[in-house]
Amino acid sequence: MTDRVLIEGSEAMARAAVSAGCRFFTGYPMTPFTELLEHMASLLPEVDGVCMNAESELEAVGMAWGAATTGHLAATGSTGQGLSLMQESLSEITNARLPLVVFNMARGQGDYFQATRGGGHGDYRHIVLAPMDLPEAVELTRLAFELASRWRTPVMVLGDYYLAHTYQAVSAPSIEGAAPEVPDWALNGSSGGSGSAKIISPLGGGTDGEEGFDLGAHYAACAAHIQEMSAGVDPLIDIGFCEDAELVVAAYGSVGKFVRYACLRLRDAGHRVGYVRPITLWPFPSEAVYDAVTGSAKVAVYEQNMGQMVDDVRLATMGAVPVEFIGGPSWDHSGFGIGPDINVPDISERILEALK
Amino acid sequence: MSGVEPANRAESVSSGERELMLTGIGGQGVQLAAQVIAQGATAEGKEVLVFGSYGGMMRGGNTDSTVVISDQPIEAPPVLSTTWSAILMHHQYWTPLSDLIRDGGLVLVNTSVFEDELDARRYQVVEVPATDVATDLGNPLLAAMVMSGVYGRKSGLVSLDGLVEGMRRSVPPYRSQLIEANEAALATGWEMAA
Repeated sequence: MTDRVLIEGSEAMARAAVSAGCRFFTGYPMTPFTELLEHMASLLPEVDGVCMNAESELEAVGMAWGAATTGHLAATGSTGQGLSLMQESLSEITNARLPLVVFNMARGQGDYFQATRGGGHGDYRHIVLAPMDLPEAVELTRLAFELASRWRTPVMVLGDYYLAHTYQAVSAPSIEGAAPEVPDWALNGSSGGSGSAKIISPLGGGTDGEEGFDLGAHYAACAAHIQEMSAGVDPLIDIGFCEDAELVVAAYGSVGKFVRYACLRLRDAGHRVGYVRPITLWPFPSEAVYDAVTGSAKVAVYEQNMGQMVDDVRLATMGAVPVEFIGGPSWDHSGFGIGPDINVPDISERILEALK
Repeated sequence: MSGVEPANRAESVSSGERELMLTGIGGQGVQLAAQVIAQGATAEGKEVLVFGSYGGMMRGGNTDSTVVISDQPIEAPPVLSTTWSAILMHHQYWTPLSDLIRDGGLVLVNTSVFEDELDARRYQVVEVPATDVATDLGNPLLAAMVMSGVYGRKSGLVSLDGLVEGMRRSVPPYRSQLIEANEAALATGWEMAA
């Protein structure tokens, strides 16, 4: 017998979050996000952390915002539906320059635009990480907290039902890991008149009453920060068999794992297909996609929606190679995004059709 | 009980990956059997992937689960399109599965309740009167454990020790009084598969 355990994706991600130093989690139950909340509720007390079952997603994001101002690593999440409710706050949290990790355990892949375009008001972006399976979700959850701290920004981990509910055998993932030092910018309870009061606000910082707030200067600083982050975050991508590929298939997340498997089997059968699987959806790995596909005759994009990432693929390839959308939504009766069309034979058929 | 050797005619799609699909109706222990086999293989150091789906009803609705076991990292996504083996606890929701089992695949059927035809030329069928055997052991709910015992031996994927460990890891604390009976049912299944 070994030390390996069989755990579901939600538990693996929760353990990774705690080991990355997350000490505050909050959310409102909604399939397939619920188990992540449950595992955080069970794990956080073990490390003197706090998990709150909120009364709504609005309350959850508000509590996470508050926790983040204290300099402790905080996270929240939901499905895309719940994240719609959170968008105003996520926009303001971004302008307040606060680290936060946001999990979207999405129903299908309809939330790509919401995740990558900034679903709220204003001129901002979030770093978005899209794991294809449990081991990658563990890595990317840890990375999400690192990036959130380094860039003082919300970072999204974009998962789905398959990621949340698939069990996999792994070496028992530890929850050991120190919470980072509380940074200098964090609120510490000092109030006005103490000489050390601080303001962390989406309208800009500072307690300098004489100068007042300069919203223009603050927004300019936020814009410069987005630009710096866009250049400073390493885009991640998984590329396979593109060197001699006639057709390159692009896909992301769990669905990317189905596409990858379909391509592996089509390669076994002698078809010259390759794949690109963007892992950071923002910043999008445009250069790597361009380099990977320019030797091929065509790019086919498979997403479980009406075509969203396909826009980014088109922008990345800049007309160098024709880009065709071969995906489509696939709904089950519960609307959880595990419809019958997400299967390897169906995907393979669409790839072969695009290869003609 | 058919006396055939462990299945080896249904070649794995990807080298070394062995798939199992289970079907039945809620309450028969389908999800538990999948957990026991998967936890057992995990305890023995294998790579394992499990994805289950079930309707809203605890009892009476459709319930399916898939397990992939391998010595190498698993490439397969969570939803399988073909399978090397199957456990059929009930016929009611089994039809979609019939096309997914590869030719020569190992098929364990609970003959106590299964009322559909199975093509023995196409599959390697192992007939197990699991619910009857479980009833003789004192509780028809042990049928899934009898089946898991047979599966472990016929498939060659999990040992009896592994199955028992897997069962211990899978049974929730409020069911701990059933561990002994589950262990006996696993051992009975294992013996039946000799």
